[in-house]
Amino acid sequence: MSNPILSASGLVKTFRSGDRRIEVLRGVDLEIAPGESISIRGESGSGKSTLLHLLAGLDVPDAGALAWEGVADTGAKRRAAFLGIVFQSFYLIPELDVLQNVLMARRILGAPGAADRARAADLLKRVGLAERMEHLPAQLSGGERQRVAVARALMNSPRLILADEPTGNLDEQTGAAVIELLLGLCRETGTTLVLVTHNAEHAAKCARRLLLHNGRFA
Amino acid sequence: MPWYLYLAFKQLFPTGRRFPFFTVISAVSVALGVALLIVVLGVMGGFGYQIREMITDTEGEIQIKAQGSISHYREAVKKIETVPGVAGATPYAAGVLMVQYQNKPAFPQMRGLDLGSINRVVSLDRFVRLGSLDALDDDSVILSGGLADALGVRLGAVVDIYTPLMLSRKDSEVILPRTAKVVGILEIGHQQLDSSTLYCTLRMAQDLYGLNEDVHGINVRVKPGEKEDAVVSRINEILPAEVRAFSWRDSFADFLWVLQLEKNMMMFVLLFVVLVAAFLTMSLLLVLVLKKTREIGVLGALGASRRQIALCFCLQGVGVGVVGTGAGLALGFTVLHFRNDLVRAITHVTGGQELLARFYQFSELPEHLENRDLALIVVAALVLSTLAGIIPAILASRLKPVEALRSE
Repeated sequence: MSNPILSASGLVKTFRSGDRRIEVLRGVDLEIAPGESISIRGESGSGKSTLLHLLAGLDVPDAGALAWEGVADTGAKRRAAFLGIVFQSFYLIPELDVLQNVLMARRILGAPGAADRARAADLLKRVGLAERMEHLPAQLSGGERQRVAVARALMNSPRLILADEPTGNLDEQTGAAVIELLLGLCRETGTTLVLVTHNAEHAAKCARRLLLHNGRFA
Repeated sequence: MPWYLYLAFKQLFPTGRRFPFFTVISAVSVALGVALLIVVLGVMGGFGYQIREMITDTEGEIQIKAQGSISHYREAVKKIETVPGVAGATPYAAGVLMVQYQNKPAFPQMRGLDLGSINRVVSLDRFVRLGSLDALDDDSVILSGGLADALGVRLGAVVDIYTPLMLSRKDSEVILPRTAKVVGILEIGHQQLDSSTLYCTLRMAQDLYGLNEDVHGINVRVKPGEKEDAVVSRINEILPAEVRAFSWRDSFADFLWVLQLEKNMMMFVLLFVVLVAAFLTMSLLLVLVLKKTREIGVLGALGASRRQIALCFCLQGVGVGVVGTGAGLALGFTVLHFRNDLVRAITHVTGGQELLARFYQFSELPEHLENRDLALIVVAALVLSTLAGIIPAILASRLKPVEALRSE
């Protein structure tokens, strides 16, 4: 694969629980091409979220190497521009309205301008929340909150989106709509997507499907 | 606006919430502390200021003293009045006497006044409650209000005056007091002076103390806008070495030091109120950090640095300090503005309005807040509130995004 957007080799992660050592990841290798959509499935406790945190640079592996576009720097500053993350529990900031929650991703890179506000408004329009921009997260349904989180993840035009069970807190119908939205937007913008999910149907919608079992890809 | 400043502001004043609990409770606690400091230091400063005014009103800004008495005082007064910056000078004699009226004794301070020059330095007329300063001659006296009350003396009464000189007479001699008619009752407005002072002419004081043509000192009034210390130096240049001029600050240095010490101690004690408010702010911010653990994790995931996350929480402490200090200033100055109405209302309920006036000798509660004290209060409140934000900020910055997200 030429110029992978993300490459991971031999990722190992172990957690301690009392005297026990739990080896969650036992040497995961992964290369993702630009624009690709990948799903990662696995049973509960298989290490899906741990892998996603490592790929996002939020956690450090015990062994192995990770690079984004061939560069090993996965620090906070680079992360802000390089990738967007969608969490299962949305994690919107309750004090900010919908528009400001989306703009927060841009604020972390620097003060947003008029063009950024227009982009945030456009993203909210595309996720079907044009009328809810001034609402607070508490005034939205779960599906709406997750759509805000998707818009936030796309705000900085990231090269890669990591979605950690984004439908876990949603009902089936809303979950399916969010996955369609996420895949559609990524396809439309050429953004690479890594989707961690339990749901086989959602996973099947991605171009490449991986199964994490016993700390390795099966 | 950097995101951490924006978010700190939004967390202090969230959209759609009129009374955010954390902000209101923290800011009110800081405001109460600041208001308390302003009111107490304002009133204490007022008392100090009134006392300082009273000193310069009754003694002039400069006092000239010698080891013993000052000879040739008329020439000295003339020379002093030629010094640039001097508005006027008046000699005086002072000491303790025994005054008796209908077998009731008292031991007041005597103040012998030169009626020809006193008004150039002290406008005593305005303090005369009963009688007149013009009626004062070598056979009459004016008593302070407290002394007249203590002796039960009324205007026109005749009192007996005994001086320390009489004690040095031989045993065989019969001590005959000097009699004087009371021609005035005077109240300056300060308990110490008004409780026990007898005013007489300089001539009478010189006789009572056997001073002949000498005086105990000279009071000097400085022209408005002149610097007292500069005038003191100029006067000292023309005076003989044994006679020295002192500014009122030098003369009352011990008293002023005690006043300042009282004020500083009061400020030190009351600063603990602001300190407690800062601890409250810190506790609430710590709770906020724990409550927002996952949001802190998300900010980290979005690319916020640890320093920025720390700043976000530290700025909330600063915000509480700014809002609380602003509200405290408004509250403090409002209370100071209506202080006399409040005192009247309290004494109306509890009684003792007359006692208050008699004891403190101020018809109105004084107020004087120095800029230095105001600046100190503001800086202390802001610094303590900022420090209150530092520990929660460090705690927030130490949270690893992945651990914060796992806290669910």
